[in-house]
Amino acid sequence: MAIHDEDSNKLTIKLVYYGPAMSGKTTNIMRLHDLLNTDLKGEIMMMETTNDRTLFFDLLPLGFTTSSGLLVKFKVYTVPGQVVHDSTRKAVLSRADGVVFVADSQLSQSINNGQSFENLEANANRVGLDFDSLPLVIQYNKRDLTDIISETEVQQRWQQAPWPVTFSNAINGSGVVETLQALLSQVYNQLNTEFKFLDQHNLTQTEFINQLITGDISHQT
Amino acid sequence: MSIEQALSFDHEFTLQELLTGVNSSKLLQALLTNLDSPVRILDTHDKCLFDIELDQFEEKHPLKKTPLYGELEPIGYIEAYAPLPSLQSAAQLIQLILYSNSRYLMASDLHIKTQRDDYEELQRRNAALETSKVKYKKLAESLDLRVKQQVKVIETAQLKLYENEKLASIGRLAAGIAHEINNPIGFIRSNLTSTESYLNALTKLDAALKTGATNSYILKLWEEEELNYMLEDLEDILKESIDGIDRVAAIVKDLKSFSRVNDADEEDADINEIIRQTVHICAPQVQNKLEVILDLADIPLIFCHPAELGQVFLSLLLNAADAIAEKGKVKITTGINESNICIEMRDTGCGISESDLSHIFDPFFTTKDVGQGIGLGLTVCLNIIKAHKGSLNIISKLDKGTLVTICLPIQHKKY
Repeated sequence: MAIHDEDSNKLTIKLVYYGPAMSGKTTNIMRLHDLLNTDLKGEIMMMETTNDRTLFFDLLPLGFTTSSGLLVKFKVYTVPGQVVHDSTRKAVLSRADGVVFVADSQLSQSINNGQSFENLEANANRVGLDFDSLPLVIQYNKRDLTDIISETEVQQRWQQAPWPVTFSNAINGSGVVETLQALLSQVYNQLNTEFKFLDQHNLTQTEFINQLITGDISHQT
Repeated sequence: MSIEQALSFDHEFTLQELLTGVNSSKLLQALLTNLDSPVRILDTHDKCLFDIELDQFEEKHPLKKTPLYGELEPIGYIEAYAPLPSLQSAAQLIQLILYSNSRYLMASDLHIKTQRDDYEELQRRNAALETSKVKYKKLAESLDLRVKQQVKVIETAQLKLYENEKLASIGRLAAGIAHEINNPIGFIRSNLTSTESYLNALTKLDAALKTGATNSYILKLWEEEELNYMLEDLEDILKESIDGIDRVAAIVKDLKSFSRVNDADEEDADINEIIRQTVHICAPQVQNKLEVILDLADIPLIFCHPAELGQVFLSLLLNAADAIAEKGKVKITTGINESNICIEMRDTGCGISESDLSHIFDPFFTTKDVGQGIGLGLTVCLNIIKAHKGSLNIISKLDKGTLVTICLPIQHKKY
């Protein structure tokens, strides 16, 4: 649920990277921090334990200002993947406007992926999100490794599902921006009705995406 | 802050919130020293949150204002009479403090939220457990009731089995007794047939006498019909038949006194007499392999259920017979020990193994083949003896034999 602060003309959108432990959620947002070229890019706030496992969450603040003067602020979170941190995952997922599910492509991880996805669905329902209408992208990460599930098989598995599937190697950054792009287009559609991006702010879907990714503010027809 | 925001760890922090817990006078003092100017920290609406003044201040630079950034956007300003670069670097330092504080606040708010959620979850589970506890308590109560009902059903069934067991040992006697009665009936019948033919001879003699036959003819007839022999034989026949009828009468008498299994009457009775009757009644059943030796002392009458005690002695005697494969002995001794009458029954049977010995009084425990007994014999015996306030003990050695000792307190009817 995006929050519009009329006082400071600011819209805050919450995006969450969800998925099993060690699937590369934090790496995703680190690469976003490197690769995105938006006007406003904050520091990544990391809350991690000594062995690089996310303890509470990671947070990357991003944003741009529309030609109408609206500050669109994105708070990109990762959840802790370890099973024990379920309460934290629920709190971070609460009021999310979009979710990237980062799956681990390794064959050995398919059970963990499945359990984590079930957990996402369950927690979305628990925190009051409508899972059917929630903007969601499935990302198969670690494509650089051997012993991974084939793209064909992934496509087959998710054929019936309504969500786009992307492939990535977050370590070198490939696929990371594309994933965000796929999420942003859904988020735009979802929020446009309520916040009238097009009508009141003259903000098209392409601009919405490009402003965050390339910082390009040229108005396209 | 709305309630919803208060619950959320990731709400937008104000400058005021982010400076909570910071020692503001020390911070301002440090800024004042570095900038050499009074300093004011303002929120986004230019409201002054903190300020510090100098007593004697000489304005060397014009008043400058620079934003303090939160995550992305300004959340307040710092104002001082200082060159802009100096002011900006002061702002940088404050932002580091703000960043560190926001990190702390988010972590602690999230921690509080998850703790509260976990606590609520625990309370929910606790409530669910309470509900199921009540449910199980009710279930336990109804189960308790059903168990009690079932116990009653089982007890009733057991009582019936006990009664059946009493009748069963009597039933076992029936065959032997039938034979014992049949035997005299057989020879009495045969004797009566002989007597019938003797009656024919006598009729002939009677006819001859009535027609006034001569003495020589009558003597001839006497010899022809072997009436001398008939007289002798008739005497034997009568004697034998009376004996036979007496035997039947005796059996019936024993049986009558013995078979009062459901007779509730208690009376003063002679234990020795009950033993004799029992031995007598089952003699046809056991006599071909069991030699029963009685060694009965002079003992007083006691107030008891004679029929029930007879049942005990019968059961024990039949057990002894079962324990003996071909030929053996049972010795029954009575005597007085203090205020008790003691009855010992010692057999030379196969004995009872140590592992079985501890189970012999358990209902339905049996070592006999299916159909030979349901395992209630000794249970019934023990119950009867206990009802008489007595004791029943069994010691046994495998392949040597078994000794059963019964002690009954000497008691009399209270008039």
